[in-house]
Amino acid sequence: MNRKIRQLAAGLIVLYLILFAAMNYWQVGREADLNAMDGNTRAIRREFSRPRGDIVTADGLVVAQSLATPQGSDFPYQRQYPTGELFANVTGYYSLALGSTQLERTQNAVLTGQTAEQRIGNVEDIFTGGEGTGTVQLTMRADLQEAARRALGGRRGSVVVVDVQTGAVLAMWSNPSYDPNLIVQPDFDAAVDARADLLEAPGDPLLANAYQQRYMPGSTFKVLTTGIGLEAGVVALDSDFERLSSWTPPQTTNPIENYNGTNCGGDLREVFRRSCNIAFAQLATNIGVDGMVNGVGAWGIGQPVPIDLPRPAASTFGDTEGLDQQLPLLAIRGFGQNDDQMVPVHMALVAAAVGNNGVMMQPYVVAATLDSQGRTLTRTQPTEWLRPISAQTAATLNSLMQSVVTDGTASCCLQLANGVPVAAKTGTAQLNNDGQPERSHAWIIAFAPADQPRYAISVVVLGTNEEISASTGGRLAGPIASEVLDEALSNG
Amino acid sequence: MATAAPVARARRSTELSLVVMAGMITAIAYTFASLGQYTQIPARIIPFLLTLLGLLLLAHLAVRWFARGADPTVLPLVALLHGIGYVMITRLEPERLAGLQTTWSVIAIVAFVLTLAVVQRAADLARYRWTFLLLGVALLVMPLVPGVGSSFGGARIWVSVGPVNFQPGEFAKIALAIFFAGYLADNRQLIAGGTWRVGPLHLPEPRALLPVAAAWAFAVLVMVAERDLGSSLLFFTLFVVMLWVSTERVAYLLLGVVLFFGAAFVSWQLFDHVQLRVDIWLDPWSEAQDDGYQIVQALWGLSDGGLMGTGLGRGSPDIVPVSESDFIFTSIGEELGMFGAAAVLMAYLLIVGAGLRIALRTENAFEKLLAVGLTTIMGIQAFIIIAGVIKLVPLTGITLPFVSYGGSSLVSNYVLLALLVRLSDSTARRLQEIPDDPTLAERRAARKQRRRATSRRGVRGAVT
Repeated sequence: MNRKIRQLAAGLIVLYLILFAAMNYWQVGREADLNAMDGNTRAIRREFSRPRGDIVTADGLVVAQSLATPQGSDFPYQRQYPTGELFANVTGYYSLALGSTQLERTQNAVLTGQTAEQRIGNVEDIFTGGEGTGTVQLTMRADLQEAARRALGGRRGSVVVVDVQTGAVLAMWSNPSYDPNLIVQPDFDAAVDARADLLEAPGDPLLANAYQQRYMPGSTFKVLTTGIGLEAGVVALDSDFERLSSWTPPQTTNPIENYNGTNCGGDLREVFRRSCNIAFAQLATNIGVDGMVNGVGAWGIGQPVPIDLPRPAASTFGDTEGLDQQLPLLAIRGFGQNDDQMVPVHMALVAAAVGNNGVMMQPYVVAATLDSQGRTLTRTQPTEWLRPISAQTAATLNSLMQSVVTDGTASCCLQLANGVPVAAKTGTAQLNNDGQPERSHAWIIAFAPADQPRYAISVVVLGTNEEISASTGGRLAGPIASEVLDEALSNG
Repeated sequence: MATAAPVARARRSTELSLVVMAGMITAIAYTFASLGQYTQIPARIIPFLLTLLGLLLLAHLAVRWFARGADPTVLPLVALLHGIGYVMITRLEPERLAGLQTTWSVIAIVAFVLTLAVVQRAADLARYRWTFLLLGVALLVMPLVPGVGSSFGGARIWVSVGPVNFQPGEFAKIALAIFFAGYLADNRQLIAGGTWRVGPLHLPEPRALLPVAAAWAFAVLVMVAERDLGSSLLFFTLFVVMLWVSTERVAYLLLGVVLFFGAAFVSWQLFDHVQLRVDIWLDPWSEAQDDGYQIVQALWGLSDGGLMGTGLGRGSPDIVPVSESDFIFTSIGEELGMFGAAAVLMAYLLIVGAGLRIALRTENAFEKLLAVGLTTIMGIQAFIIIAGVIKLVPLTGITLPFVSYGGSSLVSNYVLLALLVRLSDSTARRLQEIPDDPTLAERRAARKQRRRATSRRGVRGAVT
């Protein structure tokens, strides 16, 4: 029988070799192919079962966290956003089947403890019971963000507050927003429905409109035009603008008018604080196509706003091809109509640049990232973005913008507590054509305290049906800026 | 008491170090599984370690006492497989099954010890072969008895006794293997010889082959009736192999292969569930969301693991249905990678090798055949289920010995292991590698005989 037993042994060895070959086939030969197959959710599930760190504001409020789920749940953690819609556009959401957005996506490595430094540091977590996750600390302040939401109320629009000297974004709110808890809820079908609804909702709640959309700036654009003019030497404080109610630019017979056909003119301070359209149309024409194009480029128009969040929009001056044959358009764009479009964050940076001696800083929302023991992994250093104007020009603009508040288009409605001086520029971007019901975006940009600037703000109220006048921006957006700047200054 | 034996001492020391090594590997794997899932050292690591080592030492001591000449590699290999299986089960179902598997492990080790203690001479088993036949048949038929048996997962192979569910079929395999070994050892010449002429064919005497063929046919039919295809296949293979090895006639092997494919074809024609299994085996991808879900997820698990595995506690083997028993091999392949899976394959191959080595060394025909039978059961069972879960052959629902969750499987495999260890020890004694101490039974019988002799002599007075 021994011969047969040996043959049996050989046979069984062959069988097991076949098994080994088959394992090789699946785990080596076809590994990549199987991993890439549709429906294979293993990599996602692995991602999703990891513990995940918090996102916190500068004043310590947790705006994104992972809560342990009861035993027997599909996954060990459930992502939760305690402040609901307040920080949705900054944190984004992190969901199993619907992907991840904003900081939940870009800071994923830090939050799950997978950066190189964290991996090394995590060894001690095994013994201390830590979870090896990281924390993302925002520059944003919860009190300011709440103030922005309260002040804007139910109106569509955005409010952005930045630190003048560093570019740190302290508040960035746009309405409508959305509650990310709806998208990360465990009931997958409900989550899909919620997202579908949001995609179709008016006002793009899923977009962070404050830095991902751009709107016609109206008269706030005059800050840029004035800055370009001052830098080019085309205009000065003592330049005189003829008092006109109507002016026809070259290459056309259609006149440009001031708001409500009013008469407007005088020195630079006069036309600035009263926001005369004609004066700035003339100014833009005098600067010329090349001057304006280069000038707006120096202000950062055409570049995506360098914020540390995904897919920022770029402000635009419109198509500049052949603009020298369309000088009327140049003139109109000089006072912020036609194809001018500004990103709200960019507009806040414009105000900040004026308050920061002409230096425009790069905006950022992530102040620092920390590991599970609270040690700093990275800390964002403030970086200069552009220098659109000299310190001298900035000082001039500062003074002009203070006039807007003391006796200009913002004087009615922008006043800060304790008499803190503030500098501002209002804007009313007319959206309707002549003869149609009036519709406009109401803007204001400002910085305070005007003598030692710390905070810059941009507010836009979109698509209002208010009567359009030079002061519309001031009337609608001014109180919002007041409330928010007061909050900023009162709490440091 | 047992006399000194350097060979035995050497073997047992080897076994002790290997068993401790297997225990340490299990403990380390247990720790890593907890780290992988919860980033924490497991809370109950110390009690776990103590229980684990305690059980392993108990088994080792039983071998030391009852079978000290045995091959030193089989128990450690089994301990390793058992340990890996236990770690995976705890990782997959810490609430539901870990505690149960612990209980069954204790029972299995106790059964191992008892089997070693009770079966002191392997050759004695041959005497009871007809008893084992009856026992085997009874165990097979038990689940079919209305009121006693129950269906689960489409197969009627379970019997409940109070709160416990067990599969008598697992024990029936061993009983019938003993019967076959005993019967074939005696009658193999008759079965091998071609004394009955049917035309040009030389066939064995039907009288000789009949009991075995009948037992086999009955077993297969019962398993088909219970819809336990895996066990039918296993049983069929066991019978063919034992017949072929004992008679040394290739004709039986070929006949077996032909009959197998014939039966497979017929069952494919007749039964829906067989057709379904074959369809899923051929193309699970198109049914990846329903019927093919299990095998597709298992294969995706394997590819996710790749060579090195995802790491214990870091994969998703739990999304494969029945990942803790039928599909435990792919769970291991996912988390421990191809290296881990290859280690498991190696372990089975080494156990098979040890078993067949035992078969080769012994001169006693019954012991040879029993060793072959038991080794075949384990080796082929592991092959069938592993091949099934990696889509090499259609899936059948049988357990992976020692690794899968399953009380009856674990206990019956440890009994099987005990018998192999016993066979190994018997051979060592017969080959004079260790002194052949008399067993308890033999000593009692000898004492009785001495008393009888002295009582007779005692009438005549003292010994002269």
